[in-house]
Amino acid sequence: MTLVRLPAILLLAIVAAACGNNGKSYHDQFFAFGTLIDVTFYDTEPNLAEQASETIAGELQTLHRQWHAWQPGQLTATNALLEQLQPFRGDPAVLPVIREANRLARLSGDLFNPTIGKLVTLWGFHDNALPIGTLPDSQAIAALVAQAPAAADVVIRDGMVSNSNPAVQYDLGAFAKGYAIDRIMERLRALGIENAILNAGGDLRAIGRHGNRPWRVGIRHPRQEGILGSIEIEGDASIFTSGDYERFFEVDGTRYHHIIDPRSGYPADTVISVTVIHGSAATADAAATALFVAGPDHWTRVARSMGVDLVMLVDTGGVVHMTPGMQQRIRFEPGAAPELRISEPLS
Amino acid sequence: MTRADHLLLLIAICSLPLLYAQFWQQQGTASHIQVQAGNAAPVTAPLAADRTLHVHGPLGDSVIEVSKGRARFFSSPCAGQACIHSGWLQAAGDMAACLPNRISLQIVGARPRFDTINF
Repeated sequence: MTLVRLPAILLLAIVAAACGNNGKSYHDQFFAFGTLIDVTFYDTEPNLAEQASETIAGELQTLHRQWHAWQPGQLTATNALLEQLQPFRGDPAVLPVIREANRLARLSGDLFNPTIGKLVTLWGFHDNALPIGTLPDSQAIAALVAQAPAAADVVIRDGMVSNSNPAVQYDLGAFAKGYAIDRIMERLRALGIENAILNAGGDLRAIGRHGNRPWRVGIRHPRQEGILGSIEIEGDASIFTSGDYERFFEVDGTRYHHIIDPRSGYPADTVISVTVIHGSAATADAAATALFVAGPDHWTRVARSMGVDLVMLVDTGGVVHMTPGMQQRIRFEPGAAPELRISEPLS
Repeated sequence: MTRADHLLLLIAICSLPLLYAQFWQQQGTASHIQVQAGNAAPVTAPLAADRTLHVHGPLGDSVIEVSKGRARFFSSPCAGQACIHSGWLQAAGDMAACLPNRISLQIVGARPRFDTINF
């Protein structure tokens, strides 16, 4: 073998490996479930990837119709029956998601409260267009808070549902996306897909890896343009963020966002964003809301109760509170350098 | 060297740009925007050319501005204005969307730094 042959062959082998690693990604994007769905598969046959993408779109459209909080469907029909305070046979399209939401609500001490649909309606978030320049009547808010709708008011036994509180109306907005993502990931795995990211409006679950490296996820800065930090995922994890910037309106310079504290009836006002990593997207979704409501002084207690130990909370002063586990996982962007407060380990 | 060696050497040298692009090119280098309206096929345009795009959605026109290698939602007929608050996007993989008007804007390019963005 001549002197040039071995280096040339080695070089070509490196190029082939590099290009091979770069060409196996499938990406699709579409609107469904009231949000932008972004799907990435790695090392998946194109035909299977297309089939899976269509499966995701179809499933999400079905679930969106069934679980919508204000457009007529199985959830609105269930809410109408709950209001009558008479036992009824639950619709199988919504019973499992309600049962799981109730379980997580109890673990959160009702800071994640899926039964405050009437409060959400009062605030005008049950509409694609947000209210501009108007606030809800304070007495109406106080009256609903006094009625204290809670998951414990609803008892589900042998498929029968009974409700003891006329203020209970389900709104699964802080939970349905996570639950849907978990269901769809099960479908994808059944189809034989092992490496995927399903991102629904910024919240996501990732399984497997991107070839010879983990998936890389950027966490957008809650107040500035660009990225606050990044997290690598390998195996199976969900990353959910609840933020005051997602749906809000302003009156006289004050921001009123969609994460309502069920104890006061007003938007929770001590936190900008909460990011949770957990194996279950449903748990991550509900926990992100519950910890947002709990605030910087009480979030560790609620996180421990809900079984989440990878949490980052940004308070309204810009201070980043996080668990030691999250500190190990997140890599802040150069120049971000926020003030950090690390909690005790939660598990 | 034989003729085969010459050919092998030539192919190896010609492949160097690919290797450069894969390993040495800066991550997140943005080259295009990708705009999607509803579930229609996405449209791409180079980031290098400053322009203003009017994209039609169910609520009306969203205006996307491309300037100095960055892009943003300049205006949109939605009430929440979350798309506007997303600000300028410039790194490959960055994205913003006007959900009520069903329009998304994404920066694309070689070797995006992130596979997806959480927000």
